[in-house]
Order: sequence, then C-alpha cells, then structure tokens
Amino acid sequence: MRPTSILLKSGRSAWKGPYFVPFPNLREALNNNIAIKTESRSCTILPTYVGIKFLVHNGKDYLPVQITQEMVGHKLGEFSHTKKKFSYKATKNK
Amino acid sequence: MVHVLGIHLPDNHPALFALTRIKGIGHATAHRLCARLQIHDRCKIRELTPFQVTSLASFLSSPHTSQTPPRFPMATSSYSPPPLSTPQTTLQADFNTVLAKRTERKAKAGISPPVDTLKNIKIETELQREVRENIMHQRTIGSYVGLRHAMGLPVRGQNTQSNAKTARKLNRLERFA
Repeated sequence: MRPTSILLKSGRSAWKGPYFVPFPNLREALNNNIAIKTESRSCTILPTYVGIKFLVHNGKDYLPVQITQEMVGHKLGEFSHTKKKFSYKATKNK
Repeated sequence: MVHVLGIHLPDNHPALFALTRIKGIGHATAHRLCARLQIHDRCKIRELTPFQVTSLASFLSSPHTSQTPPRFPMATSSYSPPPLSTPQTTLQADFNTVLAKRTERKAKAGISPPVDTLKNIKIETELQREVRENIMHQRTIGSYVGLRHAMGLPVRGQNTQSNAKTARKLNRLERFA
C-alpha cells in the first residue's frame, strides 16, 4: 500500500532513495583492508560496504566500525557511540 | 462471556472496541475485522451470534490461513433485474459469466487483485516475539538503540536527568518476559 514504508525504515521519501556519501576509495579499502576515516555519521550503510572497516567520528575520536551484513540499512553513526557511561572516580586527597 | 485466544471480551462493550483488547489489534484493524465478519458498528459483544464468535476465534487463531472473502461486482445504474420466475441456475450462470468477464478485463488492464491486509496481521505472542527479535537485532549488531535498551534508558534522545520512567519499565532486551 505504501511503498515508502517497505523500502525505507525511516520517514524519508522513496523517490530520494537512501542518503549516503560517495566514498571514492571504497574498492581500494575492501581489497587492501584499509580503514576509511569519515565524519559522515548520517551516511546509510549500503550493501557494498560489507566487510569494510570505517573509522567513524564521534565528536572526539574516530572509532573503528567493522561493517557486517546485518548492519545494512542502518547509519554509520549508530555504531560510533558519542556518550560515555558515567563512572565515579574518587578525587586524590584534594 | 466471550473468550477469544484466552482474552476476556467484556459483554457490554461494542465489538468494535472490545476487539482492541487483543494485542496487535487497534481501531483500524478492528474496523476491518468487523466488516469481514459482518458485525455492525453498534453491536455489543453479548449480541454476537455463536457463528460470529467461532469465526472470530478461527480467524484470530491463524490470520495467515484465513480465506479472503470473494469480491462481487456491483450492479450498474442501468441494471434491470430479471423476472422473478427465472430459475436459480440461470441466475448463477449469468453471474459467473459477468464475474469471469470482469476478472479478464482487470487482468488485461494489468490491475492486480487487491491485497488482503488482514492476512498479514500479527497478534499476541507472535507480535511480542517480533518486537523482541527487533530489539535483539539492534543489540547484536552493537548499535546505539540496542545499547540503550540494555541500559534501560530512553532510546530516542529523551532527557534522563529526571523521569525516564517508561523507559526504565519497558526498555530491556527481553521485553514482555
């Protein structure tokens, strides 16, 4: 009935297709196992990315993300966490 | 007293709203289901005929295997009914030829038969399992959504300094467990 909801899980229009950023060194990265350093967290993971290692920026560091088949359709940023879990550290005697 | 799939449907509620007690059936699906079973809008649960109750139970036990009711062509405005003396067999034969012609015309025009949306509904345990699988999928691929579920915190960027009570209650890996 609504092709958009079947094609894309997000609310994006079907005619636009998924949002992604072209990586020119994709084939090279796959063959030589070079990590792709990127800041585009909103880039959709395409089926061609499977097996590639990305270094995704989380605002501070570039965290390694190994792409697997199940990750297709998600965004790169979902796997590079931006929040640290709070852990209490005792102050050193003032 | 009507029990369907072990769920009690209150006697004095309209059937249209009592059906929403079943997990996975909202107002839209309940409306469709009532239309399928020929239950009118104001019909209370206690007024349902035994046949309607059994057909409701049989539909909900396996929606995938339920039969799609046939769709009959509507009479045109220029239609004049045949005389009353016409035998039933000829009426049936005429009807079948009209129906065949219609399906042929639709096939030629490339119109596919309408999708039966009631066949694909998921209810109760099946729906719960699907939700649980979706959460586990997020967790196994290591996404932020899965992490927040495991931590029992809001998933979509809500505040956590106070409140976040619904998330603490619901967000876990084994939802409904």
